[in-house]
Amino acid sequence: MTSTLTTIVITLNAVANAFGQCLAPIGWLPEGLSLTLVAVVTGIATLKMFKYTSNQRAIARVRREIRANLLAIKLFKENLPVTLAAQRKLLVAALRLLGLAVVPMAVMTVPMVFLLAQLAQWYQWAPIPVGDDTVITLRLAGEIRPSRPVVKLLPHDAIEDLSGPVSIASLQQVCWNVRAHQPGYHSLQFEAEGERYEKQIAIGDGVMRVSPQRPSRDWYEALLYPWEKPFDAQSRVQAISIEYPERDSWIAGTDSWIAYWFIVSLVAGFAFRGVFGVHL
Amino acid sequence: MAEVQDRTPSRRSFLKQAAAIGAGVGVAGAAGAGIYLGSINRVSRMAGQKVIIIGIDGMDPRLSQQMMNDGQLPYLAKMRAVGGFRPLGTSIPPQSPVAWANFINGAGPGSHGIFDFIHRHPEKPLTPFFSAAETVAGDGGWEVGEFQIPLDFWPFNHKPPTTELRRQGIPFWDYLDEAGVPSTFYDLPSNYPPSPSKCGHHRCICGMGTPDILGSYGTYQYFAEDNPPEPVHEGGGKRFPLRFVNDTAHVELLGPDNSLLRQPEPTRVALTIHRDTATQAAVIQIGSKRVVLKAGQWSRWVDLTFELRTPWFLPGKSVRGICRFYLQEVSPHFRLYVSPINIDPRHPAVPISEPKSFITDVAKKLGPFYTTGFQEDHKARTNRIFNDQEFLRQATIVLEERFRLLEYAIQNYDDGLLFFYFSSSDLQSHMFWWSDDEMHPSRPPEETAFYFTHIKRLYQQLDRVIGDIYDRYGSLATIIVMSDHGFANFGWQFNLNSWLRDWGYLNPVECPSILSDMMDWSRTKAYGLGINGLYLNLKGREREGIVEPGEEAEELIEALINGLLRVHWEDRPVIRNVYRASEVYRGDATALAPDLIIGYHRGFRASWATCLGDLEPDAISPNLEAWSADHCADALEVPGVFWCNRPIRSQNPALVDIAPSILALYGLPTPPTMTGRNILG
Repeated sequence: MTSTLTTIVITLNAVANAFGQCLAPIGWLPEGLSLTLVAVVTGIATLKMFKYTSNQRAIARVRREIRANLLAIKLFKENLPVTLAAQRKLLVAALRLLGLAVVPMAVMTVPMVFLLAQLAQWYQWAPIPVGDDTVITLRLAGEIRPSRPVVKLLPHDAIEDLSGPVSIASLQQVCWNVRAHQPGYHSLQFEAEGERYEKQIAIGDGVMRVSPQRPSRDWYEALLYPWEKPFDAQSRVQAISIEYPERDSWIAGTDSWIAYWFIVSLVAGFAFRGVFGVHL
Repeated sequence: MAEVQDRTPSRRSFLKQAAAIGAGVGVAGAAGAGIYLGSINRVSRMAGQKVIIIGIDGMDPRLSQQMMNDGQLPYLAKMRAVGGFRPLGTSIPPQSPVAWANFINGAGPGSHGIFDFIHRHPEKPLTPFFSAAETVAGDGGWEVGEFQIPLDFWPFNHKPPTTELRRQGIPFWDYLDEAGVPSTFYDLPSNYPPSPSKCGHHRCICGMGTPDILGSYGTYQYFAEDNPPEPVHEGGGKRFPLRFVNDTAHVELLGPDNSLLRQPEPTRVALTIHRDTATQAAVIQIGSKRVVLKAGQWSRWVDLTFELRTPWFLPGKSVRGICRFYLQEVSPHFRLYVSPINIDPRHPAVPISEPKSFITDVAKKLGPFYTTGFQEDHKARTNRIFNDQEFLRQATIVLEERFRLLEYAIQNYDDGLLFFYFSSSDLQSHMFWWSDDEMHPSRPPEETAFYFTHIKRLYQQLDRVIGDIYDRYGSLATIIVMSDHGFANFGWQFNLNSWLRDWGYLNPVECPSILSDMMDWSRTKAYGLGINGLYLNLKGREREGIVEPGEEAEELIEALINGLLRVHWEDRPVIRNVYRASEVYRGDATALAPDLIIGYHRGFRASWATCLGDLEPDAISPNLEAWSADHCADALEVPGVFWCNRPIRSQNPALVDIAPSILALYGLPTPPTMTGRNILG
């Protein structure tokens, strides 16, 4: 079951990564502007999806009922039985409206999760600035062995190995402290017990697509870190992660970007509902 | 029909849609424009008077003159060549907080009320406190379970604990501020908490006196396998034992006390340490972050977040700090030093700059940096955590960081006054200065010479910094280089309280400390507290005073002065001058002044024990500490330095003259609050 789910996630990641190429302009636009544009487009796309996956007639009917009951409350505010009945109907209508949103929400959840995973690569982390240090952790598979694992980070012009490999035997992990030297995307090569493994590193300023972990073959890790191909289940190396700094911005900073994206896409959705004739 | 109507936009709906699209585009445009405009330096570039002051704590005129004569300080010598060099009269006593406050007020301690590193409240039981700032305990709070929440608004009006700047009087930048002259100070001593700017033209990052996150002047934490089994709290640090199981150890870093608790207890951050003896390295895990170090390596700044427990109905609170790790040794004994946890300049827990956002703005550009007043960890050297080389390395890290901050300061300087402070020359000199042929009490001659040569190299580094500023601003700005005092060997220490005891002024003879319950104040006429202060146990002023003001006090002062000036050690006089506060201090802020100020000859200083009131068997003993040079001597022994790229009018300028001279450069008269005078032609 888990294996199937992992395969599905990896397949969908491949699709999302292909669409994710369209997000490349984020790298050269100001982060606030790009996130605003992405949120507006997402809001409109969500609106369209909502239109085609929801029962628009039923929603329109319920909304008319809500308007009618609101009017009843206003007109017959002196008449307690009528007011109470209208309030009861309002509550029921609101619940029905919620119920009518379940199907479109369920349909939209899947693309949204993959979209957010794509966006997180741009807005959740910042690349490593040139001259800064970071920690690379390689996780090995299997039982803890009495012998020391033979793991190497192969030399690369983009980085300088300051200290490592440092082995954490109890966790089956090996760490390096490296200093970033050359801006750009680079592929770091690792050697573990005769096999070669790769991991991408992003160095520079501004906004870059950052993949903090090349994941193991696990659906949850694959969902969180979609960019790089997960290691095989039988691989000696299970995951390689790089510590990236947090992005420092009110609009597009670590964790704050998602709130901004949500609010702007919501505002965009409401703003354009008339244009596209969508009942919400 | 309804559907058709829905698809046909009315004028009203069209306007609504247009407005919505307009709003969307507006939001996007504003976001973009904000980002672009924010990156432009929009500070005006007025063609105003430029004054740059580089404050070099502890730079000594004798050594400077010798090095200028030898051609080792070419840029400073260039300023001397235009008549811009003089030794600079320092404060009485020549202690940094006193001296820098003299500079700030343009007047002596009588105006600013700082007389020593340490003061006491005479009317209260004797409890020393730091003179420049005092933490006042909170009063009241809403008690909920184990918590006490201060509600500082009506009708509760509880008072949370506060730290108050004790420096009195008017700082000279207030006059500049009122005149609209911008002034920017980086690491200004004796100004924590920061004094406010009334007109918004003054900016300042606090310097000496700024605490670490524990509220101390710097408390390192040291984890080692060969530490004692129980934690040890020593002056300036804490030692903790460390035990590894399968090469992994769990420890906690202590943070500030949670003052929301009725019984405050320290906050903590958990550390997990994984060691790898094969590669002599370790991984330190702090939350989700990791630090990888080899033996002998320093980490960069590491962020720490201390969570404060709060009642369930209040949102959680946290305090953020920064520290550096130094992995001293992995085997045979694992030893890890953690620097004092500095207030994070990106998220300061308490204001350490004026305006509060100033330090945040700087840190956004530069990243985190030291914010404590004492940045070189002299306590770690004194307590033998560091050896000389390790202290030197840490001090070098500080200096390199200072150079980066100076570069930022220069690049972001437009006009007005710029002040930048270096502590390195002071704290490194305390450890490495030894200026003559006399045997160092604890260091072999070749090491003594090696480290004193390092001090000379430090002077040369600073000379190059001045040269760089001179090259950029020599013809555009008035450049001043100054120090608050000079330096002298500290080979012998004098315990004032022991001397008073030996001469019958302090009783009983077996009393170990003037702070102990054994003190018999009814038989004590005088006591020492702080580095240079001597206080009479004066009736009506001291809590248990016995000396009558007037004739009796006068006779006692005469006897003390005569006795102290006769103190000799191996045919050398120990004390050069004893000053009466009534003669050397003028102003409204003399309430806490000592009655006598002891001025030592070069080579001597107050003993470590006597500063906090302790007594020792002998009044004079050798100083065997790593801290082997000092400046808390007689003011005439350790003047500071003053260079300017324009001629100095006075032959004997003093610290108090700098503020009036700066005001004069901006066409402002010397205010009546100042006792100094304009020394620049």
